[in-house]
Amino acid sequence: MAAPCRRMAGRSLLQFLSSFSRTSVNNSGFRQISSTSVCRRSWQAQHVEESASSPWTLMAAVCLQRLPVISAESSPIEQQFRDMMSQMEQEKSMLSDHELRLLDDADRIRRMQTGEYDSDEEDDRRDQEIVLAQDLEDSWDQKLKNFQPAPRVTAADGDPRSLQRRLADSLLLLVEQPVGGQKVWLLPQTQWQQGETLRETAERALTSLPAAAGFKAMFLGNTPCGVYKYKLPKAARTESSVGTKVFFFKAVLADAGPPAAPDSPLMWVTKSELQHHLKPAYMMKVERFLLGL
Amino acid sequence: MTAVFRKVSVTQKAFVLNQALTSCRATPSIQHPVWASVNERQYKSMPTHGIGRWRHLLPKEPPKKKRDRQQMKEIVAETNTTYATLNVNVSGYDMTVVEHFSQYIHNLCNRLGVKVMDCYALPTKSTEVWLMQEQGTKMLVDSILKTHNRVVQLRSLNATVCPIFLEVLLKNQPEGVQLSVQEHTEADFKARFKGRPELEGLKAKISH
Repeated sequence: MAAPCRRMAGRSLLQFLSSFSRTSVNNSGFRQISSTSVCRRSWQAQHVEESASSPWTLMAAVCLQRLPVISAESSPIEQQFRDMMSQMEQEKSMLSDHELRLLDDADRIRRMQTGEYDSDEEDDRRDQEIVLAQDLEDSWDQKLKNFQPAPRVTAADGDPRSLQRRLADSLLLLVEQPVGGQKVWLLPQTQWQQGETLRETAERALTSLPAAAGFKAMFLGNTPCGVYKYKLPKAARTESSVGTKVFFFKAVLADAGPPAAPDSPLMWVTKSELQHHLKPAYMMKVERFLLGL
Repeated sequence: MTAVFRKVSVTQKAFVLNQALTSCRATPSIQHPVWASVNERQYKSMPTHGIGRWRHLLPKEPPKKKRDRQQMKEIVAETNTTYATLNVNVSGYDMTVVEHFSQYIHNLCNRLGVKVMDCYALPTKSTEVWLMQEQGTKMLVDSILKTHNRVVQLRSLNATVCPIFLEVLLKNQPEGVQLSVQEHTEADFKARFKGRPELEGLKAKISH
């Protein structure tokens, strides 16, 4: 392809800083992903005017993914192995400070009850602490009982528009866009314009979605991860347009903003659900670059 | 056969000379030009002498200097298709998880053909957590949290590999671990060294 390749080679790379953290799950249920772009090098508008334009229309699409929020479920073998390893480690381990303290306290109480206890003869811990280790452990157990972890499988799992569905999987954004007269479910795409890079086109594709207002995405790179070629049916072909080429760019969702309305034309699907919504030829190209992790 | 005879005659000669020398110590004028040192071992004249020598075949190495001060590895500049030197920083509270994830990143780079320039650890930072006691205003030390940091430095990440690489890292990121990708600067390198207060004091004195 003449146009986009030369463009990509001419444009200097974007220097980026990005940080991803996966500690706390805040209300929106996302990882904190922040990226700052350090001096996007000035785009050199070099030989932009190309005399021979190709007959293909160029479009860029964004493959926006919401990463999993909670850990993936373990298979039965993994669970068994985990149990066995924790049992082995516990049997081989040494007593911790807290457990030693428990034993000391129990020992002291037993000696106190025999009657021949002389507190002056205690070797260490002259200033006996009032709080026994057993009491501490009881208070901790109480706190644990009061803690209720959130359920892994929520009611939002069935709603394709909710971002809180399928917390253990990564979700892909699909929108319904009119293509060639009919409405089709596909990755958000838009046409490339002169004077912008394909990545900028992809970013525009995301921001121009009316339903996706407030989506903050971080693009993972300047290079596309996949391409889909579509030749128009013979009847519609002209000299200047033989078909379209769609370049896909990967992005990771950082922030969703306000929840979408129930009738908005967007959907969050997992990889396994993709085939029900996408056209087969398109699906073949898309699933090549989707990691099934 | 001639070799054997030669050896025999040589030994005989040496024996004779030895005796001669010991007997006539007082006559140093006797020169033995053929035998520079009588104690030469006999098998050095064997045709196979030195058959196992190999060190003379190695290229000459410059003599090793004493250990230099740590020089900074050159920061690779950014080109049209690759990024500059990048630091992938993995940090978290659980050291085993952090170290295993940094090992995973290193192995992934090896497999994907991304060149790893350096792989080091930054000093651990300790955070003390003080809890307020329920009754009273005394603060009680609850725990000490240590934040561990591991850095994998990539030489020149290709732009085509970058999205795949980052996505694999993100999807395999374990719980409780922060991942951060930054460009490597000289300030980062200098931050690894310990400060030298005496040197700075002396420098300040000189400048005054």
